[in-house]
Amino acid sequence: MGLSLLASRALRLSRIPSRATQIFLRPIVSTRDLNTPEPATSAAPPPPPPPHRHPVGGARVHFPTPDDAIEVFVDGFAVKIPKGFTVLQACEVAGVDIPRFCYHDRLSIAGNCRMCLVEVEKSPKPVASCAMPALPGMKIKTDTPIAKKAREGVMEFLLMNHPLDCPICDQGGECDLQDQSMAFGSDRGRFTEMKRSVVDKNLGPLVKTVMTRCIQCTRCVRFASEIAGVQDLGMLGRGSGEEIGTYVEKLMTSELSGNVIDICPVGALTSKPFAFKARNWELKGTETIDVTDAVGSNIRIDSRGPEVMRVLPRLNEDINEEWISDKTRFFYDGLKRQRLNDPMIRGPDGRFKTVSWRDALAIVAEVVNQVKPEEIVGVAGKLSDAESMIVLKDFLNKMGSNNIWCEGNGPNPNADLRSGYIMNTSISGLEQADAFLLVGTQPRVEAAMVNARIRKTVRATHAKVGYIGPPTDFNYDHQNLGTSPQTLVEIAEGRHPFSATLANAKNPVIILGAGIFERMDKDAIFTVVNAIAKKHNVVRPDWNGLNTLLINAAQAAALDLGLVPESDRSIESAKFIYLMGADDVSLEKLPNDAFVVYQGHHGDRSVYRANVILPASAFTEKEGTYANTEGCAQTTLPAVPIVGDARDDWKIIRALSEVAGIQLPYDSLGGIRSRIRTVAPNLLEIDERVPATFSNSLRPESSQKIKPEPFGVTVENFYMTDAITRASKIMAQCSALLKK
Amino acid sequence: MAQVAQVLKQFRVQPNSTSLEEARKRTFEFFKLACRSIPSIMEIYTLEDVVHPSQLRASVLAEIRKNAHITNPKVIDLLLFKAMEELKNVVDHSKQRHHIIGQYVVGRQGLEDLAPTDPGTSDYLKKFYNSNYF
Repeated sequence: MGLSLLASRALRLSRIPSRATQIFLRPIVSTRDLNTPEPATSAAPPPPPPPHRHPVGGARVHFPTPDDAIEVFVDGFAVKIPKGFTVLQACEVAGVDIPRFCYHDRLSIAGNCRMCLVEVEKSPKPVASCAMPALPGMKIKTDTPIAKKAREGVMEFLLMNHPLDCPICDQGGECDLQDQSMAFGSDRGRFTEMKRSVVDKNLGPLVKTVMTRCIQCTRCVRFASEIAGVQDLGMLGRGSGEEIGTYVEKLMTSELSGNVIDICPVGALTSKPFAFKARNWELKGTETIDVTDAVGSNIRIDSRGPEVMRVLPRLNEDINEEWISDKTRFFYDGLKRQRLNDPMIRGPDGRFKTVSWRDALAIVAEVVNQVKPEEIVGVAGKLSDAESMIVLKDFLNKMGSNNIWCEGNGPNPNADLRSGYIMNTSISGLEQADAFLLVGTQPRVEAAMVNARIRKTVRATHAKVGYIGPPTDFNYDHQNLGTSPQTLVEIAEGRHPFSATLANAKNPVIILGAGIFERMDKDAIFTVVNAIAKKHNVVRPDWNGLNTLLINAAQAAALDLGLVPESDRSIESAKFIYLMGADDVSLEKLPNDAFVVYQGHHGDRSVYRANVILPASAFTEKEGTYANTEGCAQTTLPAVPIVGDARDDWKIIRALSEVAGIQLPYDSLGGIRSRIRTVAPNLLEIDERVPATFSNSLRPESSQKIKPEPFGVTVENFYMTDAITRASKIMAQCSALLKK
Repeated sequence: MAQVAQVLKQFRVQPNSTSLEEARKRTFEFFKLACRSIPSIMEIYTLEDVVHPSQLRASVLAEIRKNAHITNPKVIDLLLFKAMEELKNVVDHSKQRHHIIGQYVVGRQGLEDLAPTDPGTSDYLKKFYNSNYF
């Protein structure tokens, strides 16, 4: 709104030259009123009192210390701001959107694009508002001829070397340069020389570069070094020879590299998989969440018809700020490959035959009624939503079996204490921490957004990070304390130097990896960690620093709903196994005569063993609730229609229960949610994090012995972790090129 | 066959029926003409394996019976004219096979009964078999 407001004012002021002689003279600038700019102080008539305006984007201003508030005047309107704000931030509080290219809220200030010039009273020259601290009583003028002329001049210089290829540029329609040149630029330029050109850089399979379009705002350089923590990008040369690039021929190896596409104000860095695929105005945006890891990043899925065209981040300060990982951004082409679209039955010759839903369900119901209840097993996959998991659990329980779990939760998962499997500090709470102890977790590959938050904390407060586990890649300073649980015992007993760090820390944080769930001695490890927590005051009434970092989207909800198997050896005696999108469950010990039903959206690993395939919808096609690693429940929304003859997960199981003769008592999402309310009401608090009620210290001490085996690597390949990402071609390219 | 086509070709608008009796007679004549054309229709549209001539006859009869309550000879003449036009279109192969099947073969009962019915299933299951969106 701010830009268009200023644009309309700029248009109102421009007039056609009235005298005929002016036609032959080439004017310096198009806007005649700006030909003789005078300082605004000389303006004789006092301006009318400006209308009250609201901060840009409805933002609220937080005053850390109310005494430090200062008052400045923006276009004659007084605003109160905290000390330390820049002029640009003061203008935003006053509801004036200053045009900018290099300035970005979450990055350091560069002040090199000069687009944000404003006039400040008693200052001889216009000042770059993004780099100028606001002083008490400052009179800022954003709408004067001097400010406008300054912007027009900056635009002219920027467009001098910017190619006129908007019609073939992928940024077209969402380009800051395009918008701002329409709003603030001149209608002609005076540049007649050749435009410069710059060699394109190869940044890997994700980011396409057209470096001639670059305006050297250095946002990408600052993002790479500050947020992503890689020193891959930099500035080369000086003056008109200035260019952005990797110093040597090198790919950009960061799990957050895709975000440079969003922060680039022009079309210099664009998405390679999305290149020339669509224009942004033909896309339909659906606000949903990501399920490829346990963070639940907020995303917007842009689709055209039945096809997902791209994935963009959505702002959520508590979870992903405004970034997303490369896996989240680029896995979407996996939604088009290897899809299951019809119910299928494996014939006697071992080949699948397409059948109708009626026949497929009839066969499954017949088999499930023939086996003994204790031989029925159900496994929920890592992408399952809470609704379908509760329906599957109810179905198996009605059949008389209680052998159901969610993959990734390991044998004998502890679902009793919610604080034992969620991130109690919350993701945004990690910013208050001043010491981290990472146990058996590689946050950079397990949850890239949590890792970005830890990096932010480490950068801001120089928090100490201790890590126990196999050597791995970190993008911040850390100490590798050891590789096995033995180190934990040393810290608990105070024999390790890191225990002094923990003791001195005000807000210590311990993060346990979900890989520990698979270990046989996990109860012993939890006991030792509880001892450390007790000793160093990690869990206090005002601070809970004892966390578990999950890796799969379904894990937290599955434990909330109590998907805990009766015995951990049930697969070995199973005669009927129901896999709801479970592809990473080991079926080697499954008896050969067992009947395998695979319900899912991709023909992935488990399909090779399946007897019946029931096609289900992917998370982009259904509405479902997911709880992320901090226990915040969020829902997906359908962005595209289902593929072929597929059905939503819960609908299939509900229909199967009826064919099998044990009809489940609900037939709508609302019905299932009222069932969830009786089991895990926290899953219905959408978008709101419900902290765990009981502390993990209530957990009984285990008499297990700690095993000396070192901690393992939980996620082998960041880019391929589930059925959708394994089907994606882009993720395969990334694994080949970027995995070290 | 050719005879029927000839009759249809030479058909022209007759003067109005003077009485209900005359209209009734004309209706019978039309029905007979339609019945005589059924074998050729079966051949033109290759309907042997889809329908029996008696079923087609029954459907023509049903179309006529639908208007049994009409007593105004002028209206009957108009309906007869429309019927003759339709018959002419059918015999001239101005239609395609699916038109005949849709209107006179399955059009009677509708398509739904062709699908297997299991009376025990609930409303939910019927919708589930039909589509994902309900």
